[in-house]
Amino acid sequence: MSLTSPPFSPAGTAGPARAAEAPAPPRGASPGRRRTRRPRTRADSALTAVGLVGIAGVVATVWLGLWVTPPDEFMGNLVRLLYIHPPLAWVMFLAYGVSFLASLLYLWPRTRSARFDRLAGASAEVGVVFTGLTLVTGSLWGRPTWGQWWTWDPLLTTTALLFVLYLGYLALRRVPGEPEARAKRSAIAALVAFIDVPIVYFSVLWWKSLHQAPSIDLTTRKTYVHGSMAWTLLLGFLSFTVVFAWLVAHRYRLAVLEDREESEGLALALAERRAEAPEAP
Amino acid sequence: MNGYIESGYIVTLGALGVYAASLVGRERSARRRLPAPPARGTAPAEAPEDAPAGDEGSPAPPPGSSGTGA
Amino acid sequence: MWRDAALVAGKDLRVELRAKIGLNQVVPFALVVLVLFGLALGPSDAALRPAAAGLFWVTVLFAAVLAVQRSFAIEASDEARDGLRLSGLDAGGIFLGKAAAVAAQLIVLELVLALVASLLFDTHLSGAGLLVGTCVAATAGLAAVGTIYGAVAMGTRVRETLLPLLFFPLVAPVLLAATKAWKEALAGTPSHGLGWLSVLAVFAVAYLAIGTVAFGPLLEDG
Repeated sequence: MSLTSPPFSPAGTAGPARAAEAPAPPRGASPGRRRTRRPRTRADSALTAVGLVGIAGVVATVWLGLWVTPPDEFMGNLVRLLYIHPPLAWVMFLAYGVSFLASLLYLWPRTRSARFDRLAGASAEVGVVFTGLTLVTGSLWGRPTWGQWWTWDPLLTTTALLFVLYLGYLALRRVPGEPEARAKRSAIAALVAFIDVPIVYFSVLWWKSLHQAPSIDLTTRKTYVHGSMAWTLLLGFLSFTVVFAWLVAHRYRLAVLEDREESEGLALALAERRAEAPEAP
Repeated sequence: MNGYIESGYIVTLGALGVYAASLVGRERSARRRLPAPPARGTAPAEAPEDAPAGDEGSPAPPPGSSGTGA
Repeated sequence: MWRDAALVAGKDLRVELRAKIGLNQVVPFALVVLVLFGLALGPSDAALRPAAAGLFWVTVLFAAVLAVQRSFAIEASDEARDGLRLSGLDAGGIFLGKAAAVAAQLIVLELVLALVASLLFDTHLSGAGLLVGTCVAATAGLAAVGTIYGAVAMGTRVRETLLPLLFFPLVAPVLLAATKAWKEALAGTPSHGLGWLSVLAVFAVAYLAIGTVAFGPLLEDG
């Protein structure tokens, strides 16, 4: 058994040698394994670069948003949430859109590939994170502005529904089953969910607008965004999008590992048990 | 009033940071649990795995090595 | 496809007529929910009468989940699902048939529920045309989504909790639009409710179409 080349540290799980060591160590906590770092691939470096760009952008946005830009003439300092709340909402829609497209590609026979299923799941999970943040920042913005934590604002209400909708989608993904069957039904669920998004938004919009003057509407702020504020807002959109890309890439890689664990997990455990058993005479 | 703004920023950055850290952590522990790339011909999901984004498992397992077993 | 749909719908409805689960369980369940709403918001009519339309439709939503569960529980037993697949029936037809059966049961429920609700919440049922039209359009949408998600969740052990979680957020627009339409009808201004009716129609058509197309792949594996 030779120590082989990257990308994985094979970590010398030699069969017979193990039996001579400590008895049956628990899986995942094997002290006998050599922890050789797997060498960095180009993709790793690219991903790190993306991450750094994202962090830099976000830090710059925060700095500009909190300190450099001036307070708004109407909203005062509250406008500073403008630099993160709309970008978060944008990323949320982007995430679900990516999930939708990936699901479509998965269902289309010619482009069917586990890649797209994993991408759909990864993007949806990151999307849910951003959805939660959109809700929190929206609520934090609403409280000092109108005195209420929640105002049934069309965008916020749509966001709340999307939150639960995609939590359901993620729950569906976690239901055990044959990988292909699971991927197929998840893809259909993603389609069904995404098509609802415009319906939900417009329904809530009309529902709300028929009742009161649309002054309580986060999407039609009477704020003129200009100068440094505009640039900061743009930077906010861009940096959070970059952060989104980094998170999805990592979640995707995790999904690959999880899929492998699933398909190989049993075989691995069996092999380990077999290796630990005393050699048959 | 400013408390709301700062909380907003802190919650956002904090949550994203925690999530990012959890992803990296889960990736590391998953990699620790999985040994060499599949040399056995039994792994069915190999074909779709050659994704661009830093995927694991080089498709050409080095000859003469299986991760476990005699 | 339409013939297969009629076949499947007939089968489902016949099973229901014999088992009478809908009659014995779903309708009483819905009635109890109405009464519970009354207990929670009453006893004075001040809160109940304006809320009547909304409470009615929320109750219908809960009952819809039960109806869909039932619709797929029929298939889960005795390998009926495999039989369905092997029968060579058109997948879209199966979808439409199952959705139609669910819809039929829901319409009957809504009739009973409307009468009871008007009693409990002291509401005069005016604008019958809009009331009925809303019921038809909303029910079509609910049945379509329910059948799609029922198939998605079918065969999973967590079906009972997963289906409501998937279903309710998705049909929120139906709840919204149907309640608004009914409010207009009950308030004597049915013409204002026509916009909401069209929302319901769009929803129903969209999801009936999706279901017809997507049911094939859903049935293939399971």
